[in-house]
Amino acid sequence: MSVLVDSDIRLLVQGITGSAAQHHTKLMLEYGTRIVAGVRPGAGGQNVHGVPVFDTVADSVEATAANAAILFVPARAMKAAAFEALDAGIRLVVMVSEHVPVHDTMEIVAGAEIAGTDLIGPNTPGLIAPPARCKIGFVPSQYYMPGPVGVASRSGTLTYEIVSRLTLASIGQTTCVGVGGDAIVGTTFAKMIKLFEADPETEAILLIGEVGGSMEEEVADLVARGDITKPVVAYIAGRTAPEGKRMGHAGAIVASGRGSIKSKLAAFDAASIPVAAVPAEVVPLLRKQLDRT
Amino acid sequence: MKLREYQAKSVFSDYGIAIPRGRIAKTPEEAADAARKLGKAAVLKPQLGVKGRGKAGGIAFTNSPDEAFEQSMRLFGMSIKGERIRTLLVEEKLFISDEWYIAVTIDYAKRCPVMIASLEGGVEIEETARHRPESIFKLPVNILKGPASKDLAPVASQMGEDTARCLETLYRIFREYECELVEINPLVRTAEGSLIAADAVLNVNEEALFRHENLIALKKQIPVEDPIAEEAAQKSWTYIDLEGNIGVLSSGAGLTMAILDLMHRAGGTPANFLDTAQIDDEGIYEAFDLLSRAKPMRVLLVNMFAGLNRCDELAMGIKRYLADHPTDTPIVVRMIGNLEEEGHQILKGLGILPFKKLEDAIQRAVELSQKRKT
Repeated sequence: MSVLVDSDIRLLVQGITGSAAQHHTKLMLEYGTRIVAGVRPGAGGQNVHGVPVFDTVADSVEATAANAAILFVPARAMKAAAFEALDAGIRLVVMVSEHVPVHDTMEIVAGAEIAGTDLIGPNTPGLIAPPARCKIGFVPSQYYMPGPVGVASRSGTLTYEIVSRLTLASIGQTTCVGVGGDAIVGTTFAKMIKLFEADPETEAILLIGEVGGSMEEEVADLVARGDITKPVVAYIAGRTAPEGKRMGHAGAIVASGRGSIKSKLAAFDAASIPVAAVPAEVVPLLRKQLDRT
Repeated sequence: MKLREYQAKSVFSDYGIAIPRGRIAKTPEEAADAARKLGKAAVLKPQLGVKGRGKAGGIAFTNSPDEAFEQSMRLFGMSIKGERIRTLLVEEKLFISDEWYIAVTIDYAKRCPVMIASLEGGVEIEETARHRPESIFKLPVNILKGPASKDLAPVASQMGEDTARCLETLYRIFREYECELVEINPLVRTAEGSLIAADAVLNVNEEALFRHENLIALKKQIPVEDPIAEEAAQKSWTYIDLEGNIGVLSSGAGLTMAILDLMHRAGGTPANFLDTAQIDDEGIYEAFDLLSRAKPMRVLLVNMFAGLNRCDELAMGIKRYLADHPTDTPIVVRMIGNLEEEGHQILKGLGILPFKKLEDAIQRAVELSQKRKT
């Protein structure tokens, strides 16, 4: 199967009338995602690619039993939109926008914890589960195929780059989740790896990390403690990133030695997690782990 | 965005936190005048974006207006970590009994605000964390509830009730100005017993600036460090200046970092990088234009993974740019994704050999950078 999403997903698109949202609604529908509703205050009663539009999330949930939401709303409107989804009992919320103020993110994360909602992002291309033909986000689905690898990544285009190589090598995926490039995200690597561990179809886990933050170290701790028994392979971007510079992602910064490549490689080494030195090493490393299982 | 010390102090003062008497000086005359008005011993403190002014000999203690004049002459001629001293904060000298540390920042692992206090003021908190981690008081805060006064009892008992209240005030500033860090180091207990913020750090979250007009006004007082980076940021792109000679244009932060890593491995060095989001023909035209104005480079490496946009449009954008701005700088392009063949045909028409494999393109760019002398 897949994690976080399955065939029960009934997706709601918040901000559905925007041009990017309309375009990706079409692409998600074409891929097979069941989209039951859209929301745009003032546009209730309209249709977007056959999807009925409502004025509020609560209205859409009542009418369509939507249980997941993707938020195509501007960063500055994210907090209000996310809390609207949390209040309506949505169980999976995906926030794609970059540049969400970090205090807003902290509030949304705290709110999601109380609501028991899975929160993905912000600053993520979303997630895709090839076996369930379900994608929530704007990942280019042509580079993905069903198979045994669970992928969690902090990056969009780097994931396409690496996953397309997996697919070329006929190594498919259970679910690929972009956790987001911000310094604070709703679903961390540690949570993702536990979900993959619990998923019977996932045989190996690929982490695509970056310098900055401590998510990679947290995963290494879980593996070292024996909480994760499935094989894990990692790639980390930013080995040569100079200290003190924010490398394009808000979360990718090495400050006062925190989040350094040295710390991450040492943690992975202590947990015996193989790390690909270059993207081209990911496929052979994964192949080796899969052959072993 | 990091406010300068004098700006942060004026914010603190608005919230009732005591700060030393002082004023800004941009010339030696102004520094001498400020020292005269203070009427006693003064401290001259450069207002910079970089840290470490004390260790670099950038802080001067003076006892007369003449001395303030001379010392400021020296400071105005100095640069610290490449940043020229243009502004001094001239303040009264404090008579210190105790020096402490208080701050509110973000605990990125716990994903919530954290209040911090330590009896070891005047040294960096990272230093204290290494040597005496047990001496640091840390209180994670539920952001939806805020801190409860009783949680600060350990601070009140060791550093006084007024210090605990001051830390609460810092939390209010942290929330109202949407900060990443608010810090007073040192917080000084004077010989007379009053509590004064001898230094002030206030780093605000750039993404939240739009809803803080007063911060936008303060930002305008700070010299722009890198105009190209600023221009890129206006378009929601990232531009980072580096030290090598290969320009890099790519989309997506993770992939761009991976390219820099591969480039170093292949023996090349990036001059900079421009990370754009998914762009169209107009976007790539503007990206080329921005990079051409940034700095000289021996080679330009372009990597486009057109998962959502189209290779033919991107190639047309490059064609249009080069028609308007012919260049001798070799351009290496790796482009894959939607309408890849069409895009490659257009590039070939321009005399650019397009690559499909990322590693091959990087290898080519590195070779060209080693052959060519600017």
